[in-house]
Amino acid sequence: MAKESFDKEIQFLRMLVLTSGAFSRQQFAERLGISVHTFDKTIRRLKEVVSSLHQQLLKEQSRELSETLHYRYYESNDPLLLFLYRAKSVKESEGQRISLLIAAMNSQALTVTELMDMCCGKLSSELPIPDEKTIRSDLKYLEETGVIKKEPGPRPYRYRIQDDLIRCLSDDERLDLYDFVDVMANTQIPSVQGYLLRDGIKKQLLRNQLDQQAVEPFLYKYHYYSRILDEAHLFKLLHAIRNRRSVRFLYFSPKSEKSYSSQNTNPLFERDPAGKVHKTLPLKIVYDHQYGRWYLLSHGREGIRKYRMEGITQMVEEDKSVDEATYEAMATALTAHIRHSWLIDTGKPVTVRARFYNPEGSESNFVKERVILQGQWGHIVQEDVHSFLYEITVNGTTEIKPWLRSFGSSCEVLEPVQLRQEMIAEWKELQSYYESV
Amino acid sequence: MNLFEKIFNHQIISRLEDSGTFMVTSLERAWLKTMLQHPVAADAFTADTLDKLRSALGPDSVMDTSVHLIEKARATEKQVYHPLLRPLRRHIMHKSGVRLTCEVKGGRVLSDQSGFPYKLEYSMVKREWYLLWYHTRHHSFMSTRLKKIRSVEIEPIELAAVETILKTIEDILDKRKTEIVIEIVREYNAELSRILYAFSSFEKNVAYDTSRDTYHVSVSLLGNDREYLLSKIRFLGKRVRVIEGDYLKRRMLEASTKALERYGVDTGR
Repeated sequence: MAKESFDKEIQFLRMLVLTSGAFSRQQFAERLGISVHTFDKTIRRLKEVVSSLHQQLLKEQSRELSETLHYRYYESNDPLLLFLYRAKSVKESEGQRISLLIAAMNSQALTVTELMDMCCGKLSSELPIPDEKTIRSDLKYLEETGVIKKEPGPRPYRYRIQDDLIRCLSDDERLDLYDFVDVMANTQIPSVQGYLLRDGIKKQLLRNQLDQQAVEPFLYKYHYYSRILDEAHLFKLLHAIRNRRSVRFLYFSPKSEKSYSSQNTNPLFERDPAGKVHKTLPLKIVYDHQYGRWYLLSHGREGIRKYRMEGITQMVEEDKSVDEATYEAMATALTAHIRHSWLIDTGKPVTVRARFYNPEGSESNFVKERVILQGQWGHIVQEDVHSFLYEITVNGTTEIKPWLRSFGSSCEVLEPVQLRQEMIAEWKELQSYYESV
Repeated sequence: MNLFEKIFNHQIISRLEDSGTFMVTSLERAWLKTMLQHPVAADAFTADTLDKLRSALGPDSVMDTSVHLIEKARATEKQVYHPLLRPLRRHIMHKSGVRLTCEVKGGRVLSDQSGFPYKLEYSMVKREWYLLWYHTRHHSFMSTRLKKIRSVEIEPIELAAVETILKTIEDILDKRKTEIVIEIVREYNAELSRILYAFSSFEKNVAYDTSRDTYHVSVSLLGNDREYLLSKIRFLGKRVRVIEGDYLKRRMLEASTKALERYGVDTGR
């Protein structure tokens, strides 16, 4: 079977989440660079996955996918987009067989023959009866994925589910485990495996008569929930890094990107593929907490290359690997280059000095608290009753600028002079936006 | 093994759910084992539970993600867990009332406040936990930092009262909701993706006006979260303009005017 790619689904879901409701079917398809027919097919497929996972949605099938995936803060903290990772297609017969096998090994350790007999008795009658070879290969797969394990002892071997993790805990301890997984999956990265685990434990808790409200006591405010879409690439890239291998992919630069190209060109012309094939040696992955976005930093023909993860499609790992010394040298050089990057800028280091003003008439100094919390490796070098001086060396000023600006009039950039001038110009323009208020 | 394994297939998962089977893969166990290395694990479990988990995960491997993954612009992680999370989440689960003693502004201590715990909320911005609760005497919806709570005791509450309180909270949250409309300044349409990412943590809708080639983002949020939205708007600078929401417009005018004064620019106001 051809290797299944989820690029289309990922692009689609990202666009759906980001532009929620902005586009018609036609516009949406055009922006993704696919036909309306493919668009409809993708939607149908995703709907199928969503509805089989969330039984309650079956009652409201008519609800649009975009509506179903609409983020509602107080409603539930289930990761909305997790179903993407449930989308791998499996033949009906294989799906039935695998779930039967796992369920059978849930209560007891069984041999291949016993499992065969069980399958013959329980599989739907219209499905072919599996032979021993099939069962053996299923067991091998389940063993490799760590779902089951072989019991020690003489032949014939017995297999049982590997669920000690849950089995060894009391109900109360399971609750602690669920909470820990929930907190860590939401506050740390990567998250997808954590969310998958959370889902499993949650179902166990619900089975013990806990209601939805009881299982979801936590909320995470202003959390980039769509960041898990790019974790699909993350693990492929980590694999390539571990193996010191290059990857090849079709890249859509987000700036000129087809998915977000403006509407004023001829739509027919727009359907031309705008992506370019890149071959590059991945070195590091960067997650930017400011926007909730991922980057790939790599080595290409021109030296250090930076890619936005969202623009990467059709990624393939090359066969040949580079030698350890070469890889080490590149990775070390890159690490040195980005040491002073606010995000990923590898430009010339400059020292930024800014004066922050303490809030007037407020007993908590939220300005200082935020600078300490978010100011990365910068330092407060001087302080008086009304203000304090913050200093940081960063590569270029482009990436730190929005953060400084976000403090509004509580922040005055002193140096470099050019950044100070830019800030003044921007505040003037911003003032003009609101002059009529 | 990758994230798109057939073992995670939706049909297999829902069949297992029907048969009541708990299935866990080595991917998930490796993730958990890695997370258990975080110092907060000690606050999340009793020593005994932690031992059990570590021994159940003994043969599993740890993820090496952190070697190759760099997090940038990350806020200092000052609090991931808080000792009160465990008892409070159980009070929430059992729908029990509580009596709280907590510190309020000015260092004053309020003792024995009767209330109903609603949810525990983690602020990704402040990196701190809050208890959202209903103050039974004052009939108000409160948000209190866990670190300001000195003691929590259980207090009996009627089931019927709980239902009423939950309904009241819903109404309060509904009433506090406001909608702000932000326009993406057309010259910056090429940066649409970045701008929308910045708003992706909000409840929002986007509208696209084909004839003007302009995007409008309607953000729906609670009144007291407007400060955070404002910081995002200032963060994005010239790229966005508030077009509906008088309070935010006024605040943006004020911020720009005051900022220019700081820089010694005569604003003529």
